Amino acid sequence: MSELLRALAVLSEPPSPECGRIVEVLGLERGPTRAEWTELLQLELPPYASIYLGNEGQVGGEARDRVAGFWRALGLVPPAEPDHLAALLGLYAEAGEVGAPEAARRALLWEHLLAWLPVYLAKAREIAPRSFQRWAELLEEALLVEAERLPSGGLVPLHLREAGSVPDPREDGADAFLDALLAPVRSGLLLTRADLRHAARDLHLGLRVGERSFVLRSLLAQDAEATLRWLAAEAEGWAERHRRHGDALSPVGDLWAERAERAAELLDELAMTTGKEVARV
Amino acid sequence: MNVHELSERVSAAKRETLARGETFYPGPSRVHLAAFPPKERWDDWIDVGPRGEERRVLLVPTTCFNCEAACGLLAYVDRETLQVRKLEGNPEHPGSRGRNCAKGPATLNQVTDPDRILYPLKRAGRRGEGRWEQVSWDEALDDIAARIRRAIVEGRPNEVMYHVGRPGEDGYAERVLAAWGVDGHNSHTNVCSSGGRAGYAFWMGLDRPSPDHANAKVILLVSSHLESGHYFNPHAQRILEGKQRGAKLVVLDTRLSNTATHADHWLAPYPGSEPAILLAVANELIRSGRYDREFVRRWWNWQEYLEREHPEVEPTFEAFERILGELYASYTFEHAERESGVAAETLREVAELVASAGTRLATHVWRSAAAGNLGGWQVSRCLFLLNALLGAIATEGGTYPNAWTKFVPRPMYVPPHPESWNELTWPREYPLAMFELSYLLPYFLREGRGRLEVYFTRVYNPVWTNPDGFAWIEALTDESLVGLHVALTPTWSETAFFADYILPMGVGSERHDLHSYEQYDGRWLGFRQPVLRAARERLGQEIQDTREVNPGEVWEENELWIELSWRIDPDGSLGIRRFFESQERPGEKLTVDEYYRYIFERSVPGLPERAAGEGLDPLAYMRRYGAFEIDRGIGPVFSQRVPEEELVDVHVDERGRVYTRTPRPDSPNIVPQPSPEADADGRRPVGVLVAGEILRGFPTPSGRLEFYSPTLADWGWPELAIPTAPRSHVHPDELEEGQTVLISTFRLPVQIHTRSANAKWLDEIAHTNPLWIHPSHAERIGVRTGDLVRVETEIGYFVVKAWVTEGIRPGVVACSHHMGRWKLGEAGQRQMMATVALDREGSRWAMRRSRGVEPFASSDPDTTRIWWTDVGVHQNLTFPVQPDPVSGQHCWHQKVRVRPAEPGDAYGDIAVDTEKAWAAYRRWLALARPADRFSPTGERRPYWLLRPLKPAREAYRLPERALA
Repeated sequence: MSELLRALAVLSEPPSPECGRIVEVLGLERGPTRAEWTELLQLELPPYASIYLGNEGQVGGEARDRVAGFWRALGLVPPAEPDHLAALLGLYAEAGEVGAPEAARRALLWEHLLAWLPVYLAKAREIAPRSFQRWAELLEEALLVEAERLPSGGLVPLHLREAGSVPDPREDGADAFLDALLAPVRSGLLLTRADLRHAARDLHLGLRVGERSFVLRSLLAQDAEATLRWLAAEAEGWAERHRRHGDALSPVGDLWAERAERAAELLDELAMTTGKEVARV
Repeated sequence: MNVHELSERVSAAKRETLARGETFYPGPSRVHLAAFPPKERWDDWIDVGPRGEERRVLLVPTTCFNCEAACGLLAYVDRETLQVRKLEGNPEHPGSRGRNCAKGPATLNQVTDPDRILYPLKRAGRRGEGRWEQVSWDEALDDIAARIRRAIVEGRPNEVMYHVGRPGEDGYAERVLAAWGVDGHNSHTNVCSSGGRAGYAFWMGLDRPSPDHANAKVILLVSSHLESGHYFNPHAQRILEGKQRGAKLVVLDTRLSNTATHADHWLAPYPGSEPAILLAVANELIRSGRYDREFVRRWWNWQEYLEREHPEVEPTFEAFERILGELYASYTFEHAERESGVAAETLREVAELVASAGTRLATHVWRSAAAGNLGGWQVSRCLFLLNALLGAIATEGGTYPNAWTKFVPRPMYVPPHPESWNELTWPREYPLAMFELSYLLPYFLREGRGRLEVYFTRVYNPVWTNPDGFAWIEALTDESLVGLHVALTPTWSETAFFADYILPMGVGSERHDLHSYEQYDGRWLGFRQPVLRAARERLGQEIQDTREVNPGEVWEENELWIELSWRIDPDGSLGIRRFFESQERPGEKLTVDEYYRYIFERSVPGLPERAAGEGLDPLAYMRRYGAFEIDRGIGPVFSQRVPEEELVDVHVDERGRVYTRTPRPDSPNIVPQPSPEADADGRRPVGVLVAGEILRGFPTPSGRLEFYSPTLADWGWPELAIPTAPRSHVHPDELEEGQTVLISTFRLPVQIHTRSANAKWLDEIAHTNPLWIHPSHAERIGVRTGDLVRVETEIGYFVVKAWVTEGIRPGVVACSHHMGRWKLGEAGQRQMMATVALDREGSRWAMRRSRGVEPFASSDPDTTRIWWTDVGVHQNLTFPVQPDPVSGQHCWHQKVRVRPAEPGDAYGDIAVDTEKAWAAYRRWLALARPADRFSPTGERRPYWLLRPLKPAREAYRLPERALA
């Protein structure tokens, strides 16, 4: 499986002439254009573990340091971006080929790949252009094969367990609430820019251009109740998605689903009782 | 097809592709941890431009010429236009490993600079008048060669001088001068690293540290090596690796440098107090017994110290330990706090950290405090004391002497040492100076110590760089002192304005050079080459002369020196030409191809075999890859056993120095080494007896680490013979009421002296040098950020803008190097040189800015987009010379008064009285202890010390009248 993972990893990097050969071997209809790559992997879904596993929901920070620490634990000097999808897949492929201890490969698979990629790829399959659709499917399939080969043993990675949840804005303020909603590991939700555009369209609200927290704040300011209901529905939908792999990704998938369910409950409650309050804060 | 089948299909495709010698995955991919085009595709790579356009390029390696690190570059040469499209890192370079700082890729700007000097120029009016005419290379070289020949033939060899800024090939220029028989080498080093070097040289003979940052447990820097300095990029990447592996970083810097921001401990000491801090740490190691006793016992010259300084005690190690404790007992943390202003508790924490490092302590100082203070050379001596106490020398994670990790391959010809001694560069006042007293040249000329018939400034800008630049202008405009001034330079400089000829030199992608620098525990060779020449040759063309491919008539130096030497000695009668003749074609000129072919085939171990493995000859290999790692893991050379075959008729003196009759074994590596004296019977020193074994030791007179330097003691400085903390000239007790200290030497990460002003990308990022001043200080004198302030030095003043920041210790001000470039008229570098007016009235000089930088139309549309006008202030003009009496280093820190500008003051104003500069010169000169009075041997200088272009032994002897 190593070579397939490497080939798929390469497609998460900027398209180059060599990609054509890989696209052909993989039997993909066509390779992504630079514009498609930029849209998906630069703007909507940057492929860094730290975004999806960090409490801040941003590139870098403690989540990246944790991945870098894993590289070091294997006796390797971490690259500049140790948590990039391609680097992690390259590392996993290498670990398999050089006969790294099974415990190390299992930890890499469950702590640093399967802890976030099923969520990430689910979203990618939803919003990606055609050239990336099949890529996401293949990568998910390959990872599920690996999950079967190296089962988790029922353990959930510590950083997933210890991630914070979404705080109540009535107690902790709107900033903390919004930050947590946009941090997938805390909310169980993965909200892209495209999602927020769709929300504005569906709710007939004005879309102000800016970073995601700015956009979300402006939606809440315009119609807090409707926005909260939309968010709650998103969270419920994510809870279902997290459970779709059933036992294959259990208990990691269950934990993600619980996060999303808790977020959905809070959002529902806020929508019913304090929508206007949230809008004010 | 399921994913298993698909994976097998990918594997099969990969195998087939690799079998064809091609690359399956793109080079710049994270999947195989590489970020570079695969080397087998360097002949035909498809590069994607900024707008997504694809172009076929050749990738040709060279090395950067901007700072001394000589990092590897890869030029992307367009196969259609044969122009360089961009420069990136060369992954095959062992030192820089594919990484560069901003200055490397900006080489492209230097190639295409619209103000570039493309043809030889000869002055058309008076020297310095600013009028030029284009001349042919033939005309220029004939004139220069005739003058040099005349000086040599008429017995005036010391009137030929070559003054270098950015060094080129290791030893090349020295060998050219040796072939001419002139002691004419002059360097910039005494305004640079002499202080740092001296401290190391007196310890271990070798004058550069080579820390193994990547494997250190604690990294202690008295420098800013994450952003600048020797060797910034190769060291910075290894410092970060060390940090990634858990190393702690301690930085001593009065200013909050970028490096300090990455430190675990940033200490901002009062300038000049660094030795007090380092000795407090040493004292703690000694007091608490946390030093490597066995290492100290085996490798320090403690026995010599006791015998000479404490003859009353029995010379046992235990006695030495007791005295060592007493020597440093007064260097307490509280004392260091009083001197430095850094809390004793913080210093104690740092000492604990250092003590925990064991043999993994990597330390480094190069310029910084060592170049700023009177006695600054003791900074490196005190810093290395910590390594010497912990045994962290040539260990994994420790600090190496440089010569063990450097390789200078033996070339075809090594001319004999010159027989003359040039007192213009090596005056007898400074017998222990590490390098030439270059910045005192104008004073020596005016004092009548000599004159110059031909003076080359070679990629050097003393008018701008050196202190008291007006003294340089006075000397360079006096044709009775300087007969002919030839500026070899790739770009306009303030010094070139005062030349008779300006000869255009190539930048990093346009010249040949060989380098090897100590950047980790290994030895490598880097090959700088004219990339368009190499590209055309790869495409099957033959190039005879690099001018065929360089822009305009820009030349490279190796060919230039060969050509000039032939013109000096066209018939070979002077014995010069023979060193520049082909061996393959006797009687004809040596070509650069033959020169390098000889070296690569005969003098670089392992290279021919590696090249053959790729089906290449060694020269082709180096032209293709640009670098070769000779070996790594050199380890502690000092503790290697001397082979039996070197030990014949051995004599061991009473302190264990071992001498032998055998000649020094031939080595392909001719890296300069100190030359400790032979014994009374002419045997050469070969090692040192340690615990019954003859080990290689250090290249010092004792063969050991010289905690006690008999050289310093014997040549007039007994009070400084051990690591100590001398009082700096800017010590608070030396300041008058209202004076403060100016730090003037710090660099900005994207500029390099005056060489990078022709790089537009760099200029846009950094182009000015405000005065850093602490808020408390600013409030006291009533200035805010952007206000004009007048900074008064001993000889004049400059007017600059204030930048109020907490990034500087209160009571100290700082102003960056690089900035304040100027031109007198139209000729010059328009994107970074302000236009100024110079006025002189007797000894009083004034400079006033008439026009800042502004946009202009040129071949580069970016010059119309120049948005900056302010290019800083040339502060160095207002500094007097301040030679350290031991190392010869100019002590850069200045005692100044800072106050709001006066009515009528304008930004960039400079005023200087050169008579005051003369008074300062005489006062500092009086601190020296000249060889005439202090030489214990009747010689000008200790013969064992390193010296560039070391003359023959006979030339060392002082004239009888001087001794009398």
